[in-house]
Amino acid sequence: MAEGLTNRLKELRAARGLTQAELAALVGVTRKTVNTVENGVFVPSTILALKLARALGVPVEALFLLDG
Amino acid sequence: MTGGQDLNARAERLSRRRARLLPVLAVLYLGQQISYFAEPSGAGGRAVDYVKVSAWLVLSVVLLALLITKGFWFHGRAVRDLIDDENTRANRHDALRVGFVAAMLTGIFLYFLDQFEPMPARHAVHAIMSLGLGAALIRFGMLERRAHREG
Repeated sequence: MAEGLTNRLKELRAARGLTQAELAALVGVTRKTVNTVENGVFVPSTILALKLARALGVPVEALFLLDG
Repeated sequence: MTGGQDLNARAERLSRRRARLLPVLAVLYLGQQISYFAEPSGAGGRAVDYVKVSAWLVLSVVLLALLITKGFWFHGRAVRDLIDDENTRANRHDALRVGFVAAMLTGIFLYFLDQFEPMPARHAVHAIMSLGLGAALIRFGMLERRAHREG
C-alpha cells in the first residue's frame, strides 16, 4: 500500500456483488489494474479514482482514505 | 457476457500472455548475447558474422518496439487501448527507468574496462543495448506478472 493511503475498494466492490472484471469493465480498465489498486500495489490517477467511486456509487473520499 | 466484459476478457488474456512471454524473451535474448561475446570474432568479416549481428539488431528493434508501444499490433484498437491502461503504462515507465539505469551502468563499466582491455565500439554498443533492453524487458515482465497475481 502506498504510504499513508488505504482504500476500501475490495470491500465496497464485494458489497455490490461485483467481480474485479465487472468493475474493470465499468470503468474501462483491465482487471489487473483493479487488482493492483485493491492490493495497494498501484495508486490510481485522480480520474480513475473518480471513475471507481462513481461506479461504486460513493464519494471518492469514502473509497480512498489518508491514514491518521 | 456484455461487449465491455468480452473486450476486457480478451485484454486480460493477451496481457497475461505478454506477462508470461516477456521474461522468457528477455532471457533468450540475453542468452544469445552470451554466445556473441563468447566468440569475440563475432563481428568479423565472415558472412555468418554479419547474419548474426543483423539478427541481433532486428531482434533488438522488435523487442524495443514491443516495449515502448502498446504491442499486439495485429489486434483491434479497442483491445490495444484497454491493454495499455494506466497500470500498464506505469509498469512500462518503471521498466524503462530500470533499463536506462542498466544501460548507463554498463556504459560506465565498459568505459573503465576499456582502460585495461580496449574493445571495439561495436562490442560496447552491443553490450549497452543488450543489457539495457534485457533489464527493461525483465522488469516489465516481472511487474506485469505481479499485477496479475490475485490479491
